[in-house]
Amino acid sequence: MKRHLAHTYLILVFVILYAPILFLIVYSFSQGDTMTNYHGFTWRHYQTLFTDARMLAIVANTLLVALLSSLIATIIGTLGALSINRTTKRVTRESLLTLNNVLMVSPDVIIGASFLIFFTMLKIPLGFGSVLMSHIAFEIPIVVLMVLPRLREMSAAMLDAAEDLGATTRQLLSRVILPFISPGIFAGFFMALTYSLDDFAVTFFVTGNGFSTLSVEIYSRARQGINLEINALSGVMFLFSLLLVGGYYWIQQASQKRKHRRREVAS
Amino acid sequence: MKRLVSLVVALLAICGLLAYTSHQLERTSGSTGAKVLNLYNWGDYIDPSLITKFQKETGYHVNVETFDSNEAMYTKINQGGTHYDLAVPSEYMVAKMKRAHLLKPLDKRRLTGWQNFDSQFLNQSFDRGNRYSMPYFWGTLGIVYNDKFVKASQVQHWQDLWSPQFRDKIMLIDSARDIMGMSLVTLNKSMNTTNPATLLAAERKLNQLAPNVKAIVADEIKMYMTQNEAPLAVDWSGEAAEMLANNPHLHYVVPSEGSNLWIDNLVIPKTAQHTDAIYAFLNFMSRPENAAQNAEYIGYATPNRQAKALLPKAIRNDRQFYPTQTTIKHLQVYQDLSPAKVALYNDRYLEFKMHH
Repeated sequence: MKRHLAHTYLILVFVILYAPILFLIVYSFSQGDTMTNYHGFTWRHYQTLFTDARMLAIVANTLLVALLSSLIATIIGTLGALSINRTTKRVTRESLLTLNNVLMVSPDVIIGASFLIFFTMLKIPLGFGSVLMSHIAFEIPIVVLMVLPRLREMSAAMLDAAEDLGATTRQLLSRVILPFISPGIFAGFFMALTYSLDDFAVTFFVTGNGFSTLSVEIYSRARQGINLEINALSGVMFLFSLLLVGGYYWIQQASQKRKHRRREVAS
Repeated sequence: MKRLVSLVVALLAICGLLAYTSHQLERTSGSTGAKVLNLYNWGDYIDPSLITKFQKETGYHVNVETFDSNEAMYTKINQGGTHYDLAVPSEYMVAKMKRAHLLKPLDKRRLTGWQNFDSQFLNQSFDRGNRYSMPYFWGTLGIVYNDKFVKASQVQHWQDLWSPQFRDKIMLIDSARDIMGMSLVTLNKSMNTTNPATLLAAERKLNQLAPNVKAIVADEIKMYMTQNEAPLAVDWSGEAAEMLANNPHLHYVVPSEGSNLWIDNLVIPKTAQHTDAIYAFLNFMSRPENAAQNAEYIGYATPNRQAKALLPKAIRNDRQFYPTQTTIKHLQVYQDLSPAKVALYNDRYLEFKMHH
């Protein structure tokens, strides 16, 4: 009985989480132009989407900025976390962390406005470069926060043992530390990716000269009412992320099997 | 480590691919090269096929960038770092940009379509002589009613909203200037008055309306009205057009005693660089057939008289969105008031909202 209840609860939660997305996708096939009534099936909105070169370019730009910025932010953030962890002086470490956290909690609008002033002062043209830089900047604190706990969990004894066995500093990093903290690094990367994908406030201020991202474009359509082309786009993106998650799962399963087999051979 | 490195390489490869794709896409739509026009517009506020037509006809490529509010656009242009050739501010924002010296004057000699415009929408208080702005679309503030609950004859004037039969039936757009303005018109006063006593009277008048007010909301009005949730609403014509398209029972009235007239305009920001492209575009957009096509796509009223003549009869003669001459004569454009005067409006409006 108890298990039954738990299942019902779980299903209910998932329905609530997914219903809006499904609702959106169902309407992307509607013949009408708004989401008030369903008017029968059509591919029309998908056709307009795939012939809209500007929209597709914006999608490509958005993904490019998201992937590249979170990659760079992950590298910088991981190095940062490593050095914060190494700092032995308590005061320095705490103040470094606090500085990091201040960036996390300060409102996006303020960060965006200050970036705009900063870039225009330095005469850096607004566009791809400025968006990329500002995204990297607001993603680094996230990565640091995701990697640091993992580093703290690492026992000093393990590092000592590796050194005793003759590991150089380089080997220590590549063979011991990085593999151990890699779940934190991945988590940081994906958090950074999602932050970048849906950031509006910062991005709005630093876009310019023909470069735009999806969130800015969709927000600016609010005055006219958002048309169903956006629904079609959401449908494609949702399918795309489903495939990504599926692919990731499949690769994991395959590599897990390989590991098992290797172990069997070894024994 | 090896796995991490190969992942990084894979990600970089994907990035390269994306960069190539977006470059190709921008090239097919032709955005590289010197013959460019940077248009800064509201989202989805121009028929995309007109842009394609303009590009084919003139060889200029149009980069469209979008904004979601007048204030956001102002900030971006004021701060610099961008090179917008044309922007589309509402009338009060034209005045503000003019005062901040953010606009370049229009060279009338280079405009070929100026005589197509209806003089009613030219030479307004926000830009006398249209030195800086060319009208793009216009609209009004009015009453949306649902004919299932309300007869047309019951709501022809603002004063009708005060009738006790509409208890708890009216939705108001949450905008200080518009709601105070409505009250001022009802009192037969100017919508631009800055007399504190008059504004106080307008607030008192609004307080009497309070029992009839069901809610004071923003964009949600569209949804409520389309779903027959309320019989009456006070809203802008642009929003009304969208509601009407989705619910045949809805109608829009501009009270003949007066209301607000808003105008969105094309202006040239100080940052503009492509003068030839700008005038080519302004002339292209003021050509009657293009302006008419744009008006049909957007659903707002065009200030281009020749274009209006080309619109289908059903649109052209729709009194809801193209009111009669006498009504238009009574419409008032909002003047750009100083922050202290705007605060007067906001305070009185807030008092009313608290009272409500």
